[in-house]
Amino acid sequence: TAGNKIFHFGACRVSMSMTEIRAGFTAIKTNIQSRDPIRSLSILSHPHSLHKVKSPDRCCITHHLFDFYVDKVFKHCKTEDSFVNRKISSIANSFLSLRRKLRQCHEQNNCVCGEESTEKLKQILANYEGLNVTSAAMKSLGELDILLDWME
Amino acid sequence: EALLPAPQNISILSTNMKHFLTWNPVIIHGETVRYSVEFQGEYERDYANESWIPISECSLTTATLCNVTEDISAPVAYRLCVRAQVGATRSPWGALQGFFNRATTSLTPPLLKVVADGYHLLVELEDLGPACQFHVLYWQKGQDSKVQQKVMKEVSSVAHLDTMEAGAEYCVKAQTHVEAINRSSSFSPTQCVRAQGDTSMWLV
Repeated sequence: TAGNKIFHFGACRVSMSMTEIRAGFTAIKTNIQSRDPIRSLSILSHPHSLHKVKSPDRCCITHHLFDFYVDKVFKHCKTEDSFVNRKISSIANSFLSLRRKLRQCHEQNNCVCGEESTEKLKQILANYEGLNVTSAAMKSLGELDILLDWME
Repeated sequence: EALLPAPQNISILSTNMKHFLTWNPVIIHGETVRYSVEFQGEYERDYANESWIPISECSLTTATLCNVTEDISAPVAYRLCVRAQVGATRSPWGALQGFFNRATTSLTPPLLKVVADGYHLLVELEDLGPACQFHVLYWQKGQDSKVQQKVMKEVSSVAHLDTMEAGAEYCVKAQTHVEAINRSSSFSPTQCVRAQGDTSMWLV
């Protein structure tokens, strides 16, 4: 079942469930990652892993990564496979719902971007823009479990 | 070329987080009419050029029902549509009126079977699918203030609730709970059973 959990992103506390996103991603992970020929590069983890981010910056990075996936990634991941497209839709619509919850923290000023998170987000965007848009989007989607693991 | 009318009376039947789109058949004498269903979530509306996504299991189907449970899988508002097809002739899309959000699913209490197995209070619950868990309340009759609760996420065949006092009567009721939408059904009717043995035995 979709177990809601309390997530702590610095001063921001949000009750969310990642169960359905993880189930959707697990169902298409192999397919998506097989479409990513450039194995030596990472969008989210280059040069530093997300795990190096300090607690106060977690909310800002999570909030902006949700924006990143909604605005830049999902729309460029359309495939010829109906099953994959439907699962991407499920993940994308779930992201919208999670982003709404995080926005509450943003509005309560619990989601301030420090220097480190700003730098990290710049790096992620630079990694993304270093590839052609479809490859970058597909690689980012293939790395979704890196984001989910880091959040949980 | 004869115009094919769009399917009418399109509606959603949603119970316990299982969602089915249904519509009236389009009748064309001497022809087999087939239907195709598509859906659109908030993401597709607001970020993907209002695109629609076909449901392959309900592409060119002769049924007038489509299980959309797997696709209505996020807490957002969805739109659904269906069209008819005979050969290469397609009807306009017929759309479900308004939006559908899974939070509006109707929840029913589970069927319940309570068993006294000697001194053991057992319960058997209807499996309502992966999205549903159950809150089971049980108490010794006459001790209504000492109601105990057990949350059952996985519905195994039979679950052990309690060890009963000899000859005592115990009552059980249950409700369905869906965490994804944080809602519960009403409670099932209460069922009571009596443990084996006789209370007078203790008086000897």
